[in-house]
Amino acid sequence: MTAPVWISSLLGICLFVCVICCLALALLRDFYVRLHYLAPVTTIGFVPLLIAVVIREGAGQAAMKTILVFAALLLINAVLTHATARAARVRRLGHWTADPEEHIPGSSVPRS
Amino acid sequence: MNPWLLASIVLAFCLIPCGIAAFRGSPMDRLLGLEMGGVIVSMFFITLSEALGNPNFYDLALASALMAFGGGLVFVRFLERWL
Repeated sequence: MTAPVWISSLLGICLFVCVICCLALALLRDFYVRLHYLAPVTTIGFVPLLIAVVIREGAGQAAMKTILVFAALLLINAVLTHATARAARVRRLGHWTADPEEHIPGSSVPRS
Repeated sequence: MNPWLLASIVLAFCLIPCGIAAFRGSPMDRLLGLEMGGVIVSMFFITLSEALGNPNFYDLALASALMAFGGGLVFVRFLERWL
């Protein structure tokens, strides 16, 4: 298999993930469900793009800068997603912590 | 067509749903469109750099990623506390 086919396939995966996540962001209604669609773009979507750039350019300046962008986006997106979810909860409830009577799915720790 | 150029065009069209999300709903809902748009723009600059053979766009991608973080965090803190 030649390199351009590999590159086209990797770009196809990247674009598929990006299109699906962007459409989900525009079409879905629930805020927290939509918030989850920010993550696949920087992880599943960006990794094929990164590999495609490395295959085409080799270990040069372009690959290093792409790796830098990937690392920045990976770190930034996690922080930003957490901050966004926290801000949405504070806006809705006025505080960040869980209420005593609030049911948290998957939590087995009894709260007083 | 060059696959990198095609990827750039598709990523540019991906900004349309982000724009729709950024123009609809509550302020927090709109913020999600802005955050997704920042990531897509960074990827767009990388593919555009490969498509045009211009390595300067890599710096734009890095700057866009860092600016999206700063801008997004400012909006998040502002919406959480004051708006």
